[in-house]
Order: sequence, then C-alpha cells, then structure tokens
Amino acid sequence: MTFATAAPPLERLKAILAELADLQHAESIADWDSRVSMPPEGAAARADVVATLTRVMHERFVSDEVGELLGALEGLDDPTDAALVRLTRREWERARRVPGELAAEMSHSAGIAVAAWDKAKAASDFASFVPHLERQLELKQRYIACFPETETPYDVLLDEYEEGMTTAEVQKVFTRLKEELVPLIERRQPAPELTGPFPVEAQQRANRLVLEAFGYDPAAWRIDETPHPFASKPGFADIRLTTHTDARDLTSLFSTMHEFGHGVYEFDIDPSLARSPLAQGTSSALHESQSRMWENLVGRSRGFWRWFYPKLQPLFPDALGTVDEESFLQAVSAIRPGFIRGDADEATYGLHIILRFELEQELLAGTVEIRDLPEIWNSRMNDYLGVDVPDDAHGVLQDMHWSIGLLGYFPTYQLGNVISVQLWERARADLGDLEEQFARGEFGQLREWLRDHVYRHGSIYPPRELLQRITGSQLDPEPYLEYLRTKFA
Amino acid sequence: MTASPFERLQERLAEVDDLAKAATLLLWDQRVMMPPAGALARAEALATVSRLAQDRFTDDEVGRLLEELRGLEESSDEDSFEASVIRVTRRQYEKATRVPSELVGETRRAAALGLSAWNQAKEQSDFSQLRPHLEELLELRRRYVECFAPPDQTYHLLLDDYEPHMKTAEVRQIFAELKHELVPLIAEIREAGDVDDSFLHGAFDPAVQRALALEILTAFGYSAEEWRLDETPHPFMTSPGTGDIRLTTNFRAHDITSLFATMHEFGHGVYEWGVDRSFARTPLASGVSLGLHESQSRTWENLVGRSRPFWRWFYPRVQKAFAAQLGDVGEEAFYRAVNRVHPSLIRIDADEVTYNLHIILRFELEQGLIEGRLAVADLPDAWNARMNEYFGLDVPDDARGVLQDMHWAGGSLGYFPTYALGNVMSVQIWRRALEDLGDLDERFERGEFADLREWLRSHLYVLGAKLTPQETVERVTGSRIDAKPYVGYLREKLAPQVA
Repeated sequence: MTFATAAPPLERLKAILAELADLQHAESIADWDSRVSMPPEGAAARADVVATLTRVMHERFVSDEVGELLGALEGLDDPTDAALVRLTRREWERARRVPGELAAEMSHSAGIAVAAWDKAKAASDFASFVPHLERQLELKQRYIACFPETETPYDVLLDEYEEGMTTAEVQKVFTRLKEELVPLIERRQPAPELTGPFPVEAQQRANRLVLEAFGYDPAAWRIDETPHPFASKPGFADIRLTTHTDARDLTSLFSTMHEFGHGVYEFDIDPSLARSPLAQGTSSALHESQSRMWENLVGRSRGFWRWFYPKLQPLFPDALGTVDEESFLQAVSAIRPGFIRGDADEATYGLHIILRFELEQELLAGTVEIRDLPEIWNSRMNDYLGVDVPDDAHGVLQDMHWSIGLLGYFPTYQLGNVISVQLWERARADLGDLEEQFARGEFGQLREWLRDHVYRHGSIYPPRELLQRITGSQLDPEPYLEYLRTKFA
Repeated sequence: MTASPFERLQERLAEVDDLAKAATLLLWDQRVMMPPAGALARAEALATVSRLAQDRFTDDEVGRLLEELRGLEESSDEDSFEASVIRVTRRQYEKATRVPSELVGETRRAAALGLSAWNQAKEQSDFSQLRPHLEELLELRRRYVECFAPPDQTYHLLLDDYEPHMKTAEVRQIFAELKHELVPLIAEIREAGDVDDSFLHGAFDPAVQRALALEILTAFGYSAEEWRLDETPHPFMTSPGTGDIRLTTNFRAHDITSLFATMHEFGHGVYEWGVDRSFARTPLASGVSLGLHESQSRTWENLVGRSRPFWRWFYPRVQKAFAAQLGDVGEEAFYRAVNRVHPSLIRIDADEVTYNLHIILRFELEQGLIEGRLAVADLPDAWNARMNEYFGLDVPDDARGVLQDMHWAGGSLGYFPTYALGNVMSVQIWRRALEDLGDLDERFERGEFADLREWLRSHLYVLGAKLTPQETVERVTGSRIDAKPYVGYLREKLAPQVA
C-alpha cells in the first residue's frame, strides 16, 4: 500500500473524486463559455486549457492509488458508497485503457474541430470540415483500439454513454421502430401550418413563463442563446440552459422545454451526492428520456396547451390572432418530414437517428468515406423521409456531435424517446390523469414523482437497473409505438 | 527523443498557465454569468484548480529544472526569451515555494466566499455580513506573510505581490509627495469656485450608453473577434486566454460614468492584448505589475478620455445621443464638467486629483489592519473618520463607505497603492510617447488613436512581464518612478487659471 495519507480509503477516494469533480466543473465552464460567451479568437488558447484540464483529470484518475483504493473498498454495506465504488471502478477501468496523451489529444482537437464546424456550417462548406472530421474519426479508431476484447467496435462507444447497451440491442429496437414509423409517416394527415414572424423577445418571454411554471428558479438557473441548444451543470445548484430563438418559427419554446428536462434531472439530484461521480444523470438515454418527456409528453400535450395557449396567443397577435387552440395543437404536433433533426416531430425524429446510427457504423467500418458523406446523407434523407436536402448546412453539417468526437451518441436520443414513454406510463399509473393538472398550469406533482423515482438517485443505479426498478421491465419500444399510434391515429 | 530541460520547463509552465486560465475564467463567470446559488460549488472548484496550479508550479521538478537551466540562463542574452522565462520563473518559484498549497487554496476559497458576501453586504449596506469574512481573510493574509522570514515587513510582502520590488517606504515617500502637492491644489480649486456639472446627472438610457461605449472602444481598437463587454456592479478586465480580452462596465441610468469606466478597463485590456504573443503560456505573458497596468487604464481613461481633443471628436455624438440632457450644453462646459474636481464619497467616481487621496486613505487603513493596529470591527468608524478628515465628508452608510470596493472582500490587501502609482507612471510614459509621436491632439480630434496604441504596444505592452516594473519604467521612459511629471500634469490641466 502506498497511501500518501492516513485517511481511511473511502474518505481518501471521495477526496480524490471531489477534486476531479472540481476539475470537471472548470472544464464544463470552459466548454459552456466557449459556446456562449467566448470571443472567437480565444478558441486556440481555450483548446489548450481544456486539453490540460482533461490530461490532469485523466492522470489523477487513472493513478495506481485509485486502483488500490478501489481494491480496498470491495463489498461495502452502504448502498450509496457501494454504488460510488462500482461506478468509479467502471470508469477507472475504462480510463486506464486510454493513454493520457490520447485523451488530451481528443479534447484538444475537439475544441478546434467544433470551431471549424461552426464556420463550416455557417458557410455550408463541408470540404473545410473534412480534415477535422477525419481527425475525429482517426482518434475514435485509436480509442476503440484500446478495447480489443470488444468484438463490435461500435459497442465500445455505445457503452460509454449507455452502460451495458449493445449495437445488437439498439439494432433490434430500431428495426422494430422503422417497421412502424415508415407507414405511420406515410399515413400522416395534412395539418395547419403556423406562419410567423414570431418576434424573438416575445418568444423569450413565453419561454420564461413556461420555465417558471415548470420550476425554473433564476437563483440557480440561467438561459442563454446559442446556435445549438444545450444544458449544462458546471456544479451543484448551477444549471444552464441554452436555446436558439428564430423569429421564423416557435421551435425555441420546445427546445427550451427539452433542455429544461435535462436541467431538472441534474438539479434534482440528491445534494449529498455533490462533487462525486454519482451526481449526474445515470445515462444519456435516461437523460434524453427526461428532455423528451418535458418537451413532448408534457409540452405537446393537450392539457399543457389548454393552460398555455391563452397565454401564448396574445404574445403573437399577428401570427396567432386567428389561430384557435385546436389548430395550434395540431400544427405543433403534426408529422412533417424535414431536414433538421432538432426540429423534427415525434414520428420522423426516429428516422433521423436511425440514419445517423447507420452512417456512424459505416464510417467506423470504412464502408463509407468521409468525403462521400454529404451525398449519402442526402440520398438517404430522400429514401427515409422523402425530402431533398438543399445544402450541407441543412444536411450533414447540422449537428455538432461528430465535431467533438461524439460518435455512438445519437442512438441514445431515440432510446430516450422509448424510455420516456415507459416512465410516463408508470407515472400516470401512480398519479392518475396529469392532463387536468397541466391544464391548470400545475406541473409540480409530475416533477415530484420524477424527482423521487428518477432524478434524486443520480447515477446510483445503472440505467438498466433504474428502468427495471421503476417500470418493472426492460427497454421496450412497444409503449412508445402505442403512444405514437394513439396520438397520430 | 527526449525534451530539453528548457522544453520541459516550458511544458510545465504551459500546464500551470492553463490551470490559472481556467481559474481566471471561473472567476469571470462567477462575476458575470453564474446564478447566485452556484457560489458554493464554485468556491470549491476555484480552490481545487488554483491549488493544483500552485502544486504543479511549486513541484520539486520545477526547482530541479531551474537548477539545470542556470547555465543556459547565464549564457543567454538577458533579453532573450529563454533567459527571461528562466529568470521570471525563478523569482516566482522562490516566492511560491514558501507558501503551502493548502493556504493558497484556502485563501482562494475564502476570497470567493468573501466576494459573494460582499455583494450582499453592499446591497444591504450591512458591514456585519462581511466582517467575519474579512477577519478570516486577514488571518489568512497574516499566515501568508508568516511564510516569509523575516516577518517584520508585513505590509511590504503583500505589496510585493502586486508591485514586485516596490518598497513600502518608497510608496510612503511618493504618497507623501502627492499629499503635499495635492492638498493645496484641491484647496486652490475649491476657492476658485465650483464647476457646474448638473447636466451630467439625469436620465441616460443604458442601452444608448452601451452603444456609445462600444463606439469609443472600437475607435481605440476593440473588435468582437477578440474582446467582449459585459455589465457588472464593479467594472473589471480579465483575460482567460490569448486573443480573449473581457471588459465589464456598469451602465447607470442616471449618469454617464460608464464611459470612463469602459475606457479605463480598455486600458487594462489593451495592455494584455499587446503582450508579445510568443510569450503565451509562460509567466511572461501578462502585464508586469498592477501599477503599470493601472498606468494604462488611467492613460486611456484620463490622459486620452478626459482630454479636450478626445471630446472635440466624441462630444457631438454624446450630445446627439442624449439631446434632452445635453442639447444646450457646449463642448467646453461638458469638458469642464467631466474634469470637475470635487471631493466625493466613491473612489471610482472620483476626479483625477481627489482620487489619490481615496487611495492614500485605503493605504493607511490596510497597513493598520495587517499590522494589527486596527480591528476589522472598527474599520467602518475609522473609514468614516478619515473621510471626514481628508474630504470634509460625512459617509451616510457603509455601502457608500467601507463597503464600496470589493478588493478587501476578495483578499486583496496591498493592492490599492498600485492605483495611485499607476497615475504617477501614466504621465511619465505619456510624456515619453509625446516626445516620439509629437502632438496627438489633431489625431484624437479625428477619432484616431492607433498611433498612440501602437506606440504603447511596441514600447510597453509587448514587454509583458519580462522585466521588473522598475526596469520596465526605465526601459520605456529612461527614468525611475517619479511623482513630479504627474503633479505637473495635474497642475497644468486643473489648477485655476490666474487672471
């Protein structure tokens, strides 16, 4: 044993993990700032800062000391401590496989690539992004090579965001979804269209009204504008949402509810877990289940709009003055195949994800070349959704994920949709009809239920276990499909 | 392939600098962006990041490398990058290794909590909320001083953090000279009769002020590619990375002091902006001292921003933007109003002359605090008594008295003197610039400031922290720090004209 101090192993481990949480806090601010507030010329220096933070975290985490502490902490009785050790071990074993240099290189190049993506997207210039994407892919390949025993390379990536998830399982769920979604989309009814403009300031007021009814508190939350909305929690009681408000449509409201779902999950984690790896949502799909729940199951529900439409309508007298609640609800729920995943309706969304899931596997396998991506993207968009992509900004360049090395992440979005309805059904079984409450602008009972069943646990339970505990079943696409069939019948 | 000792040192310094930049950003975010409830977690994060930066810098490996590099330092030209990096690193290393990293982390943490408490204490004008934090910070500062032997020069050691190699005795002497010259000057000005500045108080739309501030900044050299401007109760400048300069200002609806605060912060920003970029991620990559930093903020705020030619250029725009307030006010009357000398409660609103007395007051009080002659609990009374003595003013509440500045709440003791030293140096440097550039008035009248900025960049800013502050002043001006040019400037500009 080479403990530098005489502290008991559990205390020592917690101290190290708290320090790592602090460094993550700094990294999270560095990232948030680079997307919200950094002057563009600061990007190069910022990439250095982030790379250093990543390297320092990595070095401290993969140390032998952490391994020895974990070894000394087998079989703890306290379930929270045992969960901490379990999760730490999982992450430690993963991190040990990845050389520090590679970890630093990944974060350094991501900082540069995301800036390049920003520019490429603005100019709809895929060619300028190609070298960055090549670099990201190459680094991902090197990362995957650190896990030679995993037969399916894509599993390595998937498991990082969704513990225990396999490509085969995703494939099975997605196949089932595709079977149902394609005909569902084909059978779609024509729906009324909303025509703007919707002045940005009025939209921002609407966003605030909804957030406040959901439980947003300016003492601990903030919301900003970014091209690509996201949520982030640098530290305990500091929740940051972003949205993108465009006067041409009302998507900002839905993206705000979406990010609220991510934010509230993090916000409601038990404070006693702060500064530990348990103080975060348990997986990407569980996280997404919450953003989709607040965006869709709440935010596109009839009850919600019974409450909110009378408040929204007067904010946009020109655009909505003559639109009644029913037409509005139909307009914001309609199935409308489009180019942009972030704007997609509940039915077509899944196909956007399936397309990315397929392309990612093909890129990794080398069966699709990066330079051919736009063409393949566009032709599949046509196959799946029947739309003609006008340019790469509305096509292959629309998402930032690949620029920051997020491969294997997209599937979790769709798994989140699936899980959201599984949880929703359970909540309704416990709470009865929620729509009545929503119609009065009351969302507290739902949030309370979610806090109690999902949020407060943070990462104490792995995603599968959490889902099983709450719903009594495993990942199951049927409730989600049933929800869509009912909604779009 | 193994890296040379110098490359290894550079690598280590880059890492330390990156961590310091992360801490800088955390602080900026705390003051500009963070929801208030995040303060607790932020204090932890700041403490950890700064402790790690300190640990990595004070690591024995750095000491070994510095030893190994003695030969290279001696054989290199003193002005070379290598010799400068080694020299400056050695100086900082010797100072830093005296201080345990726990103390550094604890101090950062206490400072973060102190700043949060100050915000609320100031808002509610309630000194008692800040008091325990000040007491803790004072104790931590004393422990800091105790890391150095001999402990007799307590205040000097704190001052040295901000103004390396500046002696308390030297400051006392400069301040004595200022007091000696300024007190009678203030009396002369008072006897000559007050200047009307009533039109500077009224309704000034903050959004319009922001547009004007950005117009001035753009003429000075600000661009959105490398800079940003936000609002905070207390204006400041920070740079969390090369090519990333952040100013804050305070747009107040009832006056236009934000324009001066903005020019002030620009001066700090442009100094950082102009540092030789090849110094990035080394200890050379910043302004050399707070005094020199302040010389630049005061240059842009006062020597430029309160000059006649500046207002010849800019007053028509301000007048037009605030026609209701300023429609009938002529340029000369405006110029005199923004240069009005008048004792007042708030340091940052003070005119060029009385400002120095605000500093001298703080300099005296903080010496008392750190030497144990003054208890924190007695600070408000001591403050108010001196305000009465020096300015003849009664402080109505602590928000406008001892709570007005954030410095002590953030653990910055020994910092204030650098403000007045900056005033002094600003005029020394300015005189030298004018010798090279000739009369700048016509250029300012056309809104052209690039020649001045470029001179300052190439003579001062570019040096970064390569030389000591005294060496820097000597390199730029050819003489040591000297109060006479400053006093001469104030007399020439502000003494009543003898008919």
